[in-house]
Amino acid sequence: MLFSFLFPVALLLVLGTIYGNSGSSNHMVGQDTASYYLPGLTAAFIMANGVIGLTRISSELKRDGVLRRLSATPLTKLEWLLGTFLSQIVLAFALAAVMLTLGVALYNASGLVNVYSMVLLFLGALLFSGVGMSLAGLVKDPEVASGLGEAITYPMMLLSGTFWPIGSMPSYLQTVAQALPLTYFADGLRNSMVSADLTDFVVVAIFALVLVLLGARFTPWNES
Amino acid sequence: MAEPVASVENLVKRYDGVAAVDGLSFEVQRGEIFAILGPNGAGKTTTIEILECITQPTAGSVSVLGNSVTASRGADEVKKRIGVLPQKFGGIGRLTIAENLKFFAAMYDKSVEVMGLLDSLEIRDKAKVRFADLSEGLKRRVGIAIALVNDPDLIFLDEPTSDLDPEPRRTTWKVIADLRAKGKTIVLATHYVDEAQRLADRIGILRGGKIIALDTPAELLGKFGGGKAVIFRGGGDAVFGTLRRFFDTVSMDGSDVVLPFDRLRDLEVAFAALVDRGLEVEVALRSPTMEDVFLRLTGLKTSDSGEAN
Repeated sequence: MLFSFLFPVALLLVLGTIYGNSGSSNHMVGQDTASYYLPGLTAAFIMANGVIGLTRISSELKRDGVLRRLSATPLTKLEWLLGTFLSQIVLAFALAAVMLTLGVALYNASGLVNVYSMVLLFLGALLFSGVGMSLAGLVKDPEVASGLGEAITYPMMLLSGTFWPIGSMPSYLQTVAQALPLTYFADGLRNSMVSADLTDFVVVAIFALVLVLLGARFTPWNES
Repeated sequence: MAEPVASVENLVKRYDGVAAVDGLSFEVQRGEIFAILGPNGAGKTTTIEILECITQPTAGSVSVLGNSVTASRGADEVKKRIGVLPQKFGGIGRLTIAENLKFFAAMYDKSVEVMGLLDSLEIRDKAKVRFADLSEGLKRRVGIAIALVNDPDLIFLDEPTSDLDPEPRRTTWKVIADLRAKGKTIVLATHYVDEAQRLADRIGILRGGKIIALDTPAELLGKFGGGKAVIFRGGGDAVFGTLRRFFDTVSMDGSDVVLPFDRLRDLEVAFAALVDRGLEVEVALRSPTMEDVFLRLTGLKTSDSGEAN
């Protein structure tokens, strides 16, 4: 819980303080600092919740025989999956709400509250939950699984424009960034305040579909 | 004869062409503790998972509580009415005992009152302790409580006392025996020979996916135990030679001399022979144990803690 909320909030405060809220800051290519960081950090930590947090929890449940016990109850695999995804979606919206409240209160940030961004939040939460569930299903040890989650999360956070614009990185890293789902998720959220960019949306939607299916496939349950 | 609670006929289960279970047949009677005893890898967990309807058989027919496990309706029915304790069950570590019980109880339409369950297993005072903070013995006890939330008539316990110290093992055995006293039917998978002997009404010895013997402990001891024997400790060649003149069956085990016997008369003859020769030797009596049965049937030794290897 602490990690899920305190860390992104703290980062938003720190970064907002460092870079201020002047639209003319060269650092941020013409956008309000808070308007750049707010959606970016929200996206990044929705990722972290799915790829680190959910991975650890799911992995522990698998190790401790809870999934086995549950599969011997009337609960179906679909119900279990839906419940897991739903909890991550709720967490994502809660995080977005906290960040937005802070952003509006302190930095006059705007946006994040339209249909497009909400659908995007929903898809992003699904996407990264799928990653978490896949990791938990494929890797036996919870420590190793969440370690892998961290190994995915932190580089992705750094390379996807969370802390600095992608354009400020060397070109080979920019190419890498174009392959990362977080890039599109974060950009989609940023742009939702201005105009809905269909590319971001479509990429996130496709990634989400694939990863949800993989997550479902790799979650151990009955064999039937 | 009443309907068996579960019946298995020529059960086969293959993983990637390798048969984990290879033609198993047995029945479980109402109100008994039926132990599936075998070394690790013998196919115990696979068999239990098929009975629990979480794995499908490759071939054969399996019926639990009157339902075929291969019919999806059947499997659903079974799951409502059985209780399950998986191997090395660690619960939902972050939740308390009470929360764990309530969570699992919520999976069923009908469940027992959680506090009552805690009382009956004498863990009420720990209701607010996180599962992960419990001792191993208590984890198992709560695991059994979780297996009871839907008040099942048939309960599957997979290695319920593995890795436990002697004290919590005994307590867990008592809990299991109490369940039978309440009329529950229990299928117990174990690799502990002493556990099977102590708890089970009938034991099915499993090896390489096949049942190699199935009977009550008393019958198994009678048929395969090797019978009683007198051991003349340190008797050596002198004692051996003396007794050899009267008994074909006498053997040596190191410097000990082992004489199986059926009747007291045999003993009379043996002792008289030795006394006659003026041989003084320490005497011990050996009764057949399940370890002996197990060794004879599987050729596998059990470790000091009675585990089948």
